[in-house]
Amino acid sequence: MDQTMSHAEFEQLAAGYVLGALEPDDEQLFRRHLDGCAICESSVRELEEVAGSLAYAVPSVEPPAALRTSILRGVGATARPRAVLNLRRRPSLTLVNRLAVAASILVLFALGFWNMSLRNQNNLYQQRVAAFEQAGRLLNDPSTQVVRLEGDAAKGGARVVVMASSQQGKGALIVEGLAAPPSGKVYELWGIPKGAGLDQAVPARVFRGSGKGVVPLYFELPVQPDMTYGVTEEPGPNGSQRPTQRPILVGSPATRA
Amino acid sequence: MVALVAERDAEALEAIYERYGKASYSLARRIVADETLAQDVVQEVFLSLWRDAHRFDAGRGTVATYLLSMTHHRAVDVVRREENLRRRRTGDDALEFEPDPKAGVEAEVLAAERRSEVRAALATLPAAQREALLLAYFGGYTQREVASLVGVPLGTVKTRMAAGMRKLRDALSEPGREEQRPWTRR
Repeated sequence: MDQTMSHAEFEQLAAGYVLGALEPDDEQLFRRHLDGCAICESSVRELEEVAGSLAYAVPSVEPPAALRTSILRGVGATARPRAVLNLRRRPSLTLVNRLAVAASILVLFALGFWNMSLRNQNNLYQQRVAAFEQAGRLLNDPSTQVVRLEGDAAKGGARVVVMASSQQGKGALIVEGLAAPPSGKVYELWGIPKGAGLDQAVPARVFRGSGKGVVPLYFELPVQPDMTYGVTEEPGPNGSQRPTQRPILVGSPATRA
Repeated sequence: MVALVAERDAEALEAIYERYGKASYSLARRIVADETLAQDVVQEVFLSLWRDAHRFDAGRGTVATYLLSMTHHRAVDVVRREENLRRRRTGDDALEFEPDPKAGVEAEVLAAERRSEVRAALATLPAAQREALLLAYFGGYTQREVASLVGVPLGTVKTRMAAGMRKLRDALSEPGREEQRPWTRR
């Protein structure tokens, strides 16, 4: 083939080009021609789609799970962080080792929520180890009760769990997949003493949604055993002293036998 | 979605992998005929999308075409580099039906539909054209190598491939087929 090739001959090369089957000299000639020939360019685009469809002629084979993991690991270092966690402290790892076996079952439960977003992001991972540790200490406390909050927001896929220790007077809220509150509003968590009405609710903390990730949020509260917990939407940024609406999420500890 | 990948959104890349990883892996595996090398190919393809997502031009084609074309090029490069991997099978061997036991029923039905459509389109081609296309696409053979394997002049192979691709294009774009070609739309 040489420079005297007719256009029809170039057109014929388009098929071999998209199949990656041209000899090196033909490929070079065709590339040079392609750069400026609208007809061949359009023909190549069309034939690329056809070549792509050939891929579907083979039986599909499930790739091993390790492939996905290694691809995600490959992008991890350069990925944009997904969520910003407001953890203030980063305690040492040795405390993790001291978690009691009894608590570890509950810790795994909490980890289940976190696990979905623990992917290949070292910074985020370290922050979560710290959060895990704090939650672990809380769970290790025999006075801690774990309460899942249910309601309209949960139907939308959000998962919210409160762990609170009456002995320590503090707790953690594990929020996953909760969309941001409406503009100008914040979410507010309340502790409602057993048998009391909403008007006796005690404010625990305000927070915003978690996005797609999982966010542990800590609060201090005069926790009482068998308290009910509720979340309302309140005016931002500081929330209210008393709930101004019905809770969108609510939950009480399971009744013991 | 690719625009999100260009902004370093790992979840977007994961979503693209969810959607096209299997097709990419199946193709790579068919070409390189080796599980580990196929994984390397697919990993390179997705990491290269991650690095160079800005190069993807939505006006030029679909993500599926872009990824499968990259998969094809890289797999063929591997095969050419490692000549011993090459299996001297005829193109028709590629069309042996092996149902995938791990796939969900729905996914398997969809995959089987695509497969049977492409096969039906291939079946409309004269055997010599089909053979030329499949040897090139799945075997990674160049036109000259196909000519030598089949025992015809190079010019004949060029003509067969060009005619075969045109005919395949027409068979795949028959009226009413558009809705059934999920791989052409994102």
